[in-house]
Amino acid sequence: MAAESRESGRAQDGDREVIVEARNLAKTYRDFWGRSKKVALKPLDLEIRRGEIFGLLGPNGSGKTTTMKLLLGLIFPTSGEAFVFGREATDVSKNERIGYLPEESYLYKFLDAEETLDFYGRLFDMPPEERKRRAAALIKMVGLERDRKRQLKEYSKGMTRRIGVAQALINDPELVLLDEPTSGLDPIGTREMKDLIIDLKKRGKTVIMSSHLLADVEDVCDRIAVLHQGELKELGRVEDLLRVTDVTQIRAKGLSAAAADEIRDVLRRHGGQDIEIGNPRTTLEDLFLDVVRDTEARPGRRARQG
Amino acid sequence: MVLEEAIPKFSQWIGPAFLWYLFAASLLAVIAAAASWLVQSAVYGPLQAGDRVYRGILSGVADLLGMSPRRIWALARLAIQESLRRNVLVVLALFAILVLFAGWFLDPTSVNPGKLYLGFILAATNFLVCLVTLILSVFSLPADFKAKAIQTVTTKPVRTGEIVLGRMLGFAIVGTALLAIMAAVGWGFVVRSVQHSHELLAEDVVEIRSDDGALAGFEGRTSLDRGHRHRIELAADGSGRTDHIQGHRHEIVASTAGGATTYRLGPPEGLLEARKPLRGTLRFLDREGRPSAKGISVGAEWSYRQYIEGGKLASAIWTFDGVTEADFPDELPLEMLVRVFRTHKGNIEKGIAGSVRVRNPTSGLQSDPHYFTAKEFTIDEWRIPRTLSTTTSDGGTKQVDLYRDIVSDGRVEVVLQCLEPAQYFGVAQADFYVRSGSGSFVWNYIKSCLGIWFSMLIVTALGVMFSTFLAGPVALLATLSVILVGQFREFIQRLFQSQVTGDSTIAPGGGPIESFYRLVTQTAITLDLEQTPFVAAMKGIDTVLLAPMRLGAGLFPSLSSLGTGDFVSGGFDIPADLIAAHATETFGYLLAFFIIGALCLRAREVAS
Repeated sequence: MAAESRESGRAQDGDREVIVEARNLAKTYRDFWGRSKKVALKPLDLEIRRGEIFGLLGPNGSGKTTTMKLLLGLIFPTSGEAFVFGREATDVSKNERIGYLPEESYLYKFLDAEETLDFYGRLFDMPPEERKRRAAALIKMVGLERDRKRQLKEYSKGMTRRIGVAQALINDPELVLLDEPTSGLDPIGTREMKDLIIDLKKRGKTVIMSSHLLADVEDVCDRIAVLHQGELKELGRVEDLLRVTDVTQIRAKGLSAAAADEIRDVLRRHGGQDIEIGNPRTTLEDLFLDVVRDTEARPGRRARQG
Repeated sequence: MVLEEAIPKFSQWIGPAFLWYLFAASLLAVIAAAASWLVQSAVYGPLQAGDRVYRGILSGVADLLGMSPRRIWALARLAIQESLRRNVLVVLALFAILVLFAGWFLDPTSVNPGKLYLGFILAATNFLVCLVTLILSVFSLPADFKAKAIQTVTTKPVRTGEIVLGRMLGFAIVGTALLAIMAAVGWGFVVRSVQHSHELLAEDVVEIRSDDGALAGFEGRTSLDRGHRHRIELAADGSGRTDHIQGHRHEIVASTAGGATTYRLGPPEGLLEARKPLRGTLRFLDREGRPSAKGISVGAEWSYRQYIEGGKLASAIWTFDGVTEADFPDELPLEMLVRVFRTHKGNIEKGIAGSVRVRNPTSGLQSDPHYFTAKEFTIDEWRIPRTLSTTTSDGGTKQVDLYRDIVSDGRVEVVLQCLEPAQYFGVAQADFYVRSGSGSFVWNYIKSCLGIWFSMLIVTALGVMFSTFLAGPVALLATLSVILVGQFREFIQRLFQSQVTGDSTIAPGGGPIESFYRLVTQTAITLDLEQTPFVAAMKGIDTVLLAPMRLGAGLFPSLSSLGTGDFVSGGFDIPADLIAAHATETFGYLLAFFIIGALCLRAREVAS
């Protein structure tokens, strides 16, 4: 099934530029004496094309973050090669076109939001006017306008995450790498983050994100790689991987019970098995967001009765 | 002041120094490349390791060339902000407390209070500035690694060289600002502490009359201020100067109004000055008057000063070159510091008498002696007049002109003798000099602060370099170790020279094995060991051991040699050649530490 999915993905994306490429990429952590301590990533072949939202999926310790760090040049491969924009992953100049949000926003806590974005803007050699403009726009985008003069050490986890996103986008990158982007965020923050990722795609950006939260990956990713114990187990388009080809789903609104019985009869007549007709459940995320929105719209009242 | 080696001209120093630097840098580069290849060979095999080393060098050079001033400045600003948020300015409060306590504890009645105050301020400033920048520089990068903030920086288009240089620059700016503030406060403290005057009342002054009853002048003494008073001797018109006590004297101006004479004393002269010396070369004559390579050792382990025996023909002779009438038209101001070694107490109330005379190095014509009493710890002076008297062969006296008869082609000899039998004068080459002028003391003080600045820059760069691959506490220890080894640089160099030449007086005691042998056998370092095969073998092993130590010591910076506090507190102008050499040496170290730091950080996995 994995090979099939890969072929399917390649057929659809084959005409787009390869942004990230890993060839036989592997990483083994060693101790001081050079002895193998942990195989973090077994040889990995991967291609990510322009405009994709690519998800690295797997449980903790599966090699997602290692893969991301190898692509960023933060660690060096034990064997194999990684290329980003056609350049070696260790080539610093590739970073001009990259934005990176680490698993936890590793920022300087003694800076405030404006100083943080100004600092990272300077690292991109951006002129003062552009830095100022970008910083103001990003602070507005992540909703930190009122807290822009507060030192980051006073920020909550969610706020730190948002300023982390802003620093990752300071250079308007072509490729954005997000390590556990929804980690530590409340459901609203999670939804905003997912909306942001989808918006980045709409603007033609390529996004690589790692997560162990399956719903997040499912909601936003075009393609995913499933890693387990440092090994690639599955690779392909999300819709292909998740499609159950021998089951048919029918959804309708405003249907009477008689109509439902009639449809069940029709399905049975045509050989349908394990027929289920009932009311679908919403997701807890949707329910929570509805409650919050309702409360904000009508303060002081209980959102839903019963 | 102590000056163990003559200060070379910068133009003469730079050539050999540059060659040594190139040699050391090339050697280190080759060793580093070979070590890198060996380590990588174990993982990737020799061929791939060679390719990796080659590509690493190429990309490392490309990274260094691709550095951006804006990024460096951004990282430097970050380092400054980090320092300020870490309350680095607290050190200024500490300095203020030190200065306040210094006002209580430093003795204003010491032999030379100016030297004492200046020495304290410069030492305290040096220590605090270097300590602060050391702590900042060694803990900054490791803290970034620990907090993983380095990952968000290195995923931007930042070269490792920029991270290292930005850190060095930022902390250097912090250190420079601290140094400037401390130096300014210290300056104010020293000037306020040494400034004083005395009262001289008419009733404290008595007339001196000559045999014929004519007024020859006045004598008396000043009021007691700051723990001392001066004796005065005035000319008949009432003008003159006080005697020289505690490193200074005062100018006296007398004025008469309504029949009453009042005296006004000027500020202290000689406490805060910058003498410009013209130094000569020193040789000795032994007690029989025969040339001798050295004077007598009185058993001091530090053989800086050599001694001449009193009441004999033993002499210390300085030859000064470049003495011209144009530079010294009226007199030749000779300043001298003579130490005394007494073999018996003698008259303890009275100093040891000596004589100085000037001599023509070509014809041998010499002036009659100028007698003086050794002041031991303060500088004495003899203003050699244009007209000098000499004793002719028939016992008569003849007047000669300093430049026409004594100075020959700009060269003149000054001969020192101790006049009291069984007492000794101790001198070093730098102890006698012709004072060719005075520089600005303020500028001299600033030059001395430059010495502290150079030390601070080296400490900062060293700390940042070690912090690129070591944890904070380990980097601190490594930096301190290098500084400590650097302090012994000159000693190790002298020790090696002593070992190779066999001249044990250069550095007595021998190398590590011989020192250990002397410790075990309780043999004093000034005693020569009996020449046995065992001793020869021991010295041979020492030479082998000392060779790499000599090479290594040459690579380490010696912060004490960069310090010029002795010059300014001793009242001597810091030569421009010395400042230029120190600046060049500092730049050389900074460049080396920067490159090593950048390459080490580059080779390190930021997120491992």
